[in-house]
Amino acid sequence: MRAAGTVEPVGTSPGPLTERFWRTVEVDPVTFRVIGGALKSIAGEMAQILYRMAYSSVIRESEDLGAGLFDVDGREFCESDSTPMHIGSLPAYIRGCNARWRGRYEPDDVIVHNHPFSGSSHSPDYGVLVPIFWQGQHIAFAGCTGHLLDVGGAAPAISIDAIDVYAEGRLLDAVKIESRGVRNEELWRHVMGNVRTGEANAGDVEAMIACCRLGVTRFGELVDRYGIDTVMSSIERWQSLVESRLRAVIEAVPDGTYHAPDGFYDDDGLNHGVPVPLRTSVTVSGSDIVIDLTGSADETPTACNCPFEGSVLPTANYAVRTLFLDEAKTDEFLPQNDGIFRPVSVRAPRGTIFNPTFPRATSGRFPLINRIPDQVNLALAQVLPELVTAGNSASVQGVAYSGVDEHTGNYWVHLEIGEGAYGGRYGRDGIDAVDNLMANTRNAPVEEVELRSPLRCERYELRDHPPAPGRWRGGVGSVRRWRFLVPTMLGANGDSRSDVPRGLFGGADGVSGRLVRNAGRPDAVVLSSRFSGLRFAAGETLDVEVPSGAGYGDPLERDPSAVLADVRDGLYSPDAAREAFGVLLTADGSMLDVDGTAGLRGRRVAEPTTGPVDRVTG
Amino acid sequence: MTKHGYRLGVDVGGTFTDLVLHDEVTGAQRVHKVSSTPDDPSRAIVEGLHQLCELARVGPADIRLVVHGTTVATNMVIERTGVRVGMLTTEGFRDVMHIGRKKRPYNFSHSQDVPWQRHPLVRRRDRLTVPERVTAPAGAVEVPLDTEAVRAAAQRFREEGVGGVAVCFLFSFLNPEHERRAAEILRAELPGTFVSASHEVVPLHREYERFSSTAMNVYVGPGTSRYLRNLQDSLATYGVASGVRLMTSSGGVVTASAAAELPVTLLMSGPAGGLLAGIQTGVDTGHRSVITLDVGGTSSDIGVAPDGELRMKHLLDTRIRDYQVMVPMADIETIGAGGGSIATVSGQGVLEVGPASAGATPGPVCYGRGGTEPTASDAAAVLGWLRPETFFGGRLPLRVEAARAAVKARIADPLGLSVPEAALGIHTVMTHTMAAAILQLSVRRGHDPRRFDLVAQGGAGPLFACSVGAEVGARRVVVPPHPGIASALGLLSTDLRYEYAASVWQSSGALDIGRLGTVLAGLADTATARLRADGLGPDETDLEFFADCRYAGQGYELRVRTIGPRVDDSWVAETVGRFHDLHEATYRSRFEQTEVQIVNIRVIGVGRMPRPPHLRVAPAPAGATPWPVAVIKSWFRYDDRPRLFETPVYQRADLAPGMRFTGPAIVEQPDTTTVVEPRFTGSVDDAGNLVLVREERG
Repeated sequence: MRAAGTVEPVGTSPGPLTERFWRTVEVDPVTFRVIGGALKSIAGEMAQILYRMAYSSVIRESEDLGAGLFDVDGREFCESDSTPMHIGSLPAYIRGCNARWRGRYEPDDVIVHNHPFSGSSHSPDYGVLVPIFWQGQHIAFAGCTGHLLDVGGAAPAISIDAIDVYAEGRLLDAVKIESRGVRNEELWRHVMGNVRTGEANAGDVEAMIACCRLGVTRFGELVDRYGIDTVMSSIERWQSLVESRLRAVIEAVPDGTYHAPDGFYDDDGLNHGVPVPLRTSVTVSGSDIVIDLTGSADETPTACNCPFEGSVLPTANYAVRTLFLDEAKTDEFLPQNDGIFRPVSVRAPRGTIFNPTFPRATSGRFPLINRIPDQVNLALAQVLPELVTAGNSASVQGVAYSGVDEHTGNYWVHLEIGEGAYGGRYGRDGIDAVDNLMANTRNAPVEEVELRSPLRCERYELRDHPPAPGRWRGGVGSVRRWRFLVPTMLGANGDSRSDVPRGLFGGADGVSGRLVRNAGRPDAVVLSSRFSGLRFAAGETLDVEVPSGAGYGDPLERDPSAVLADVRDGLYSPDAAREAFGVLLTADGSMLDVDGTAGLRGRRVAEPTTGPVDRVTG
Repeated sequence: MTKHGYRLGVDVGGTFTDLVLHDEVTGAQRVHKVSSTPDDPSRAIVEGLHQLCELARVGPADIRLVVHGTTVATNMVIERTGVRVGMLTTEGFRDVMHIGRKKRPYNFSHSQDVPWQRHPLVRRRDRLTVPERVTAPAGAVEVPLDTEAVRAAAQRFREEGVGGVAVCFLFSFLNPEHERRAAEILRAELPGTFVSASHEVVPLHREYERFSSTAMNVYVGPGTSRYLRNLQDSLATYGVASGVRLMTSSGGVVTASAAAELPVTLLMSGPAGGLLAGIQTGVDTGHRSVITLDVGGTSSDIGVAPDGELRMKHLLDTRIRDYQVMVPMADIETIGAGGGSIATVSGQGVLEVGPASAGATPGPVCYGRGGTEPTASDAAAVLGWLRPETFFGGRLPLRVEAARAAVKARIADPLGLSVPEAALGIHTVMTHTMAAAILQLSVRRGHDPRRFDLVAQGGAGPLFACSVGAEVGARRVVVPPHPGIASALGLLSTDLRYEYAASVWQSSGALDIGRLGTVLAGLADTATARLRADGLGPDETDLEFFADCRYAGQGYELRVRTIGPRVDDSWVAETVGRFHDLHEATYRSRFEQTEVQIVNIRVIGVGRMPRPPHLRVAPAPAGATPWPVAVIKSWFRYDDRPRLFETPVYQRADLAPGMRFTGPAIVEQPDTTTVVEPRFTGSVDDAGNLVLVREERG
């Protein structure tokens, strides 16, 4: 591993303003509130246009997009609350575009960008920027990002073994596709002509341009109505307000450095069975928070690398915001803007998986970065026991199924993003079978998949493996079984969590996931969690079991009626209730044996502990 | 004297039951309001009907039609008082209801609950599986139904004491035989138990949405059936011979027996009535494109009807509370902004209004029922827009001073504002919240709000209509004669509508025209039979045809109005052409080269209910101006500052067609108060609507 701890932490926010083109004025509280609401509406309306107008289902149904307004350096005025992965990634795109165009933007220019070593989240996430001018001066950007179906890489959908960033897709490094409102038609034809889904991509990019144009118009209307001084003074105040709101909660955490237990990733997709180390610590000093990934593995020769600015930083922001400004706990109006990024920075040495060097491949980043919020949780568990979750499934299991239709000769592809499960939480069990942490997409209905593709689903349920015990038990992952009706090619990118989700405060560890070929047959085999180009014959099956979350707190303290409910719901056997929770049921399993339970639990507490131990280290 | 027939519209809300009696010959309307009786809503209905008949000197036997909007089923969902539901489903798919679409409600939250897991419609212990499997695309049986397993499940349901059973098998929309057989066995084994099979509720693809809709139907089924039986019995005992018809979420009406089978279609019927009334207002004023703003105590319903068209919600948005139900619903957005919305100043010094509401109890401070937090209504009282003399017809006290003190202490002082500035601030924040929702609903669907009239409804809609109308740039603001009972009025302005749908899953490149034709004709026959069973002849009925289409590769469909029932090449060309147009209107783009998928086809059987003539109001003499009953001092925002105006107060009853007046002004009537802002001019049209137009800014 390379020398650690020598790099400076970096955050999403470009830092304090050095000059203002407006006069700072007092804004009355009503106008201030109205402008705050208007900015939120503009971002919301931009996102609406984008996802309603886009062609591809990735943007439209998964809402895998981001949209907002930014100053010329990338300080965010407002952004839509769509997908965590996109929120706060645009400032890095802006930095990437500024590296090429700063000082040379013109009104109605349209810039398209997707270069992962110049700020993009990864190459399938295109960014579109349109500069905003006021009185002849470039003052801001309207921008958006969206996940495109295909960007012309070596393989459709998943290619975990891409040798470099060029193998993953065509790169657009701050390309001016329209100059002063005039489209470069030949360039457009070239861009759309070098991907597998040209028409859909064209539809998506048109939608992104319309989204930005709307942002330019709406911002202009706001300035016309309230004046530039009032609008910009309000924006600055909203940014400070959000910043101070977040700083106040961070400040309540005692200063110090908090370490997550060392973790690891199954492997890099090439060297099967060789774990990839992950190391995370969190330093709180005053109202600043630094997530330090120093000590994590060197960059890999495969696509398991995370672009630092475009992917790692938004993930860090997500981890902090989720812990400290939990949406479900407040109705407070806290608009998304630069202020929310300011207290947060990340240290990750160059040449590591969280800060790879050009030209490493990065498209398989997602299961890896989703470990960051899980690690941050574990690190802060001791100081924020009521805000964190026990270990989560964290990874995301993607599987791409494809083949060639023997009648039409056309390619068919079905990309499935498996859900996960949450770890137990203070006062609540972990959430079962939902997208976890940074991921939040919809599944494809089985009835849709089977109508579209030669696949047969034999099972889609909660896993049989009992959930991780705890005072609040871990969430249960799902299992899918697909049978292939025709010869089918599979690619996978995920993580089975051979490093299982960690239990907290006496809760049990979670349950690993598995990919199993031909489960229940003599030739059954457990597969690696990431691979490319594996061929299955017609009639073979694949089971996709995703990890279950870890337990939180001592199972002996679990409410016996909750244990009974889980037994009645088939999640635990009566034996498991007795062994794991010290809960006895009546002979028919329908009621609690209250006295027996009290007696058993009393004896268990008196015995020296043999149960799960607190895995968190200081 | 001619014997008049009457129609009765009854809308039951949480607080009031509104009744409208409509004379079928003259078009005259008589409205009445009584307190609701939530334990048995039919009591208030019969009581209100009795009072209304006395007042109008009408015998119950002369009522030829009762149209009812009910929240009985909706309340069971909100209060979680439906029955314990059992579900019988395909082996391997026990947890479809638990996993749902796997997307959690919040992005940024560790503490969130996933509602369908925390409060499941069917608990896991009550979801039993049986061996059976039907496959795509032809509905072939891969695993035959194990009928013994079905009987064993029935036994288990009986022992567990479930109140109803949902039968939900994969691909039953392609071949319902297994579901039909299982339901038959369950009905035989569990006599008297409410059983629904998913293909009967919504025979369309997407298993989670179909299962969830079916479970919801069972959840509210027994209670709704019981209520409807009670109501019909009570009305019959009172002497009303006509049957009862129910408003559905899609803005049509169905017979009580149809509603009892499919109560899931009633869940969002309340707001639909309001939008229908707004559409009728558009017909009356002659400008059919309307935006309805129905403001109640805790929330507002906003609907957009371009050209008077009642649009349906997108499939992703059809839910009741947090539960997905795949049934057509009128496209209405509900936001947490109403007269009772509470204003606060956050720790950061930011003014917030709503979504928390003082509701009916304790209510706004000015009601004097114990409320201490200032609300939007308190702001209106402080600004001098509500008068103690006429508040609720003078029947309730209005505590202006208490409201002023609350606004001062909780809003004005912390923000360093004067009381009028603070009160106008509350009103302004509410206005912007409503305007933002209108812009999202209109602009995002490709409609320019400047071409719409804003119709104010609900007890508090007319308080906000001018400021919201100005904010979105609406063409005019229209306040109908009875804005407070819009939903009840809407009940009488619609038709019998029965919708039948089937998934067909066809691509424009490889259409099975024969199959499409067979399915569409089958749906048309079903719809026609239903209408005939309701006693409607061919000259009273129409069929409407729709196709849910998308481009190949897209995940969701658009609902396209098309032709039928004959399916041939011109049907295909017509349908595909209309889809391209609708896609472009909705999403601003069309992809002519891309294959179009026809996913579902639908037939709506329409039983036309003759529209009685609307009463035209006699005009005032030329040049007449209304005479104010008082002139008071009220605050308005003028040139972005609070300004005190000498403000005339008019009684709505004194305003006749042809009269004109200028704002600022207050117009009072028993069910609402209209605030006419400065720069607005008011007039009355010959249907009795108050029409408010903003001058161009000079």
